[in-house]
Amino acid sequence: MSFRRIRSVLLQELFITYRSMEIIFDVFILSLISLFLFGFLSLYLVGTQNAIAGKILLLGMLLWDVIRIIQYSISIGSLWNLWARNLCNMFIAPLHMGEYLLAHTLSGIAKAILVFTLDSVLAILVFHFNIYQVGTVNLVLFFLNLSIFAFVTGIVIVGLILCYGMRIQAFAWGLIPMLQPLTAALFPVKVLPTPLQGVAYLFPCTYIFEAARYSLSSGNRDWHAISVAFFLNLLYLLLSTLFFKMMFRRARNTGQFVRNES
Amino acid sequence: MRTTGPVYEDFVGELIFYAVVEYLRKYCTISNGKMMSEVILQVENLVKKYGSFRAVGGISFSVPRGKVVGLLGPNGAGKTTTIQILLGVTLKNGGMIKYFGKDFYRHRQYCLQRINFTSAFNTLQGRITVWENLVVFAGLYGVEKSKKKIMELAKYLEIINLLPELYQNLSAGQKTRVNLVKSLLNDPELLLMDEPTASLDPDITDKTLSLIEDLKKSRSLAILYTSHDMEEVTRICDEVIFLDRGKIVAHDTPLNLTKSISEAQLRLTFDDNKSAIDQYLKSCEYRYTFLSDHVVLIDVEATLIPKLLLGISKTDVDITDIDIRKPTLEDVFLQIARGGNDVIS
Repeated sequence: MSFRRIRSVLLQELFITYRSMEIIFDVFILSLISLFLFGFLSLYLVGTQNAIAGKILLLGMLLWDVIRIIQYSISIGSLWNLWARNLCNMFIAPLHMGEYLLAHTLSGIAKAILVFTLDSVLAILVFHFNIYQVGTVNLVLFFLNLSIFAFVTGIVIVGLILCYGMRIQAFAWGLIPMLQPLTAALFPVKVLPTPLQGVAYLFPCTYIFEAARYSLSSGNRDWHAISVAFFLNLLYLLLSTLFFKMMFRRARNTGQFVRNES
Repeated sequence: MRTTGPVYEDFVGELIFYAVVEYLRKYCTISNGKMMSEVILQVENLVKKYGSFRAVGGISFSVPRGKVVGLLGPNGAGKTTTIQILLGVTLKNGGMIKYFGKDFYRHRQYCLQRINFTSAFNTLQGRITVWENLVVFAGLYGVEKSKKKIMELAKYLEIINLLPELYQNLSAGQKTRVNLVKSLLNDPELLLMDEPTASLDPDITDKTLSLIEDLKKSRSLAILYTSHDMEEVTRICDEVIFLDRGKIVAHDTPLNLTKSISEAQLRLTFDDNKSAIDQYLKSCEYRYTFLSDHVVLIDVEATLIPKLLLGISKTDVDITDIDIRKPTLEDVFLQIARGGNDVIS
């Protein structure tokens, strides 16, 4: 690992971000739109019998954005170089794939922290919802676990695109929203039909959303859910790294890695 | 004190001897009694298969320091696949690649640090400026004093005014020069160039080729060069490798390769008496075509041209113009592309 090369990829990511309206819109504006949508919905729910549901919605939305932004940064970051036919150039330089992915993850985490901070402050000011009441340590643990899960989904998507080509590039922005209902980000898992509850518990972030809701309502920490999420994340991290290596090797073996840019 | 002189001279002599040995060790290898240039890239029995299709079928060659080696062949011959394998973006199925004597797959980063690549088909990031692109690549290659280096190269390749421009807004010729700057950032000892002048107009192509010639001379740069343009290959390549269906079918200097085609074309313009010249050529069993009533094109072995001209001069024909077209690398290429692909040398 070379700090210099990681810094260079981060620099490229920074240059692309401030020159691309798409990224600014997808990362920052879309988050703000979601915040206001769910914020007003929560204000409406405050006036009903189910006032806590409004807070749960905002909590889920703010935490879900952590996954969305980091995964987006990893997947779309690679797509920007593929679209520009520049990814091969990057790997003709002595850049290691691990360094490349780490840089995009760090960039994603930085963007996620920025958006989360901005949105959480706005949530306090405009919608009187303070996400920090779940506890700072809890938030750090949630953020860490959600970041790992975002990294896992990000590298699986990049691996698939490298291996099977640009025809499946829609996965980069389409796969994560498909997971949102399955992981019960915005509502308790018990709302899901029983068979889907089993599926939901396959995802580490489901435990994090459950733990967050528990902390919000009780003020306590659900160590069990956080631990299960962490160990599932470690398992998926290992599996996804192996999967990515396999896909990257296969892409170079079949020539798809180069054909993606032709 | 009398012994000091010889001892001192011995010491200096020894120093010079070791300096010479060190220089030879660094820049030359001695093989079979002949001094050879240092081999920068060595490829042995390289194989690439896509399913049952052999894109590269066991090719071997080397690129010495300071030499330009052309990799030529018709579409689908395996040139680009070979370059991709040499850069590590496509994996080989067999064979060995060594840069600077080190196995590429075991020392990928070490090798990539000392080589670079440019192509008309690979572009840099279009959304950001030329300067930003170059800063990113300078960082990837760990270039010291990168800003100074970029400015030096930008001045050398005359792209200073392009530095603040978005890369996507540049013309094809400007992009080629920017790509060349990128490919020189790490002071490479070997440059792989995949059709760098494709889609450029003749003036920019000429400038680019002059730059490559200058780089070769000034930096003792080794270059592996692919192109479809035989004139530019003849101009800049010291050696040419012809590939066809993944195999090397010819490997020699451009001059020797053109010598391998013995037939030249003789174009004669004459006043009249077409029938007399027709009769003579028929009697000598030459292959010929009349382009008009006053012009004939004759395929003839280069060595037989004087004899042919002497024979015609004895007939009742007044020749007003003689044009001899010697075989070119393009003829070698066409011969290979059209199936006459026995190994030429």
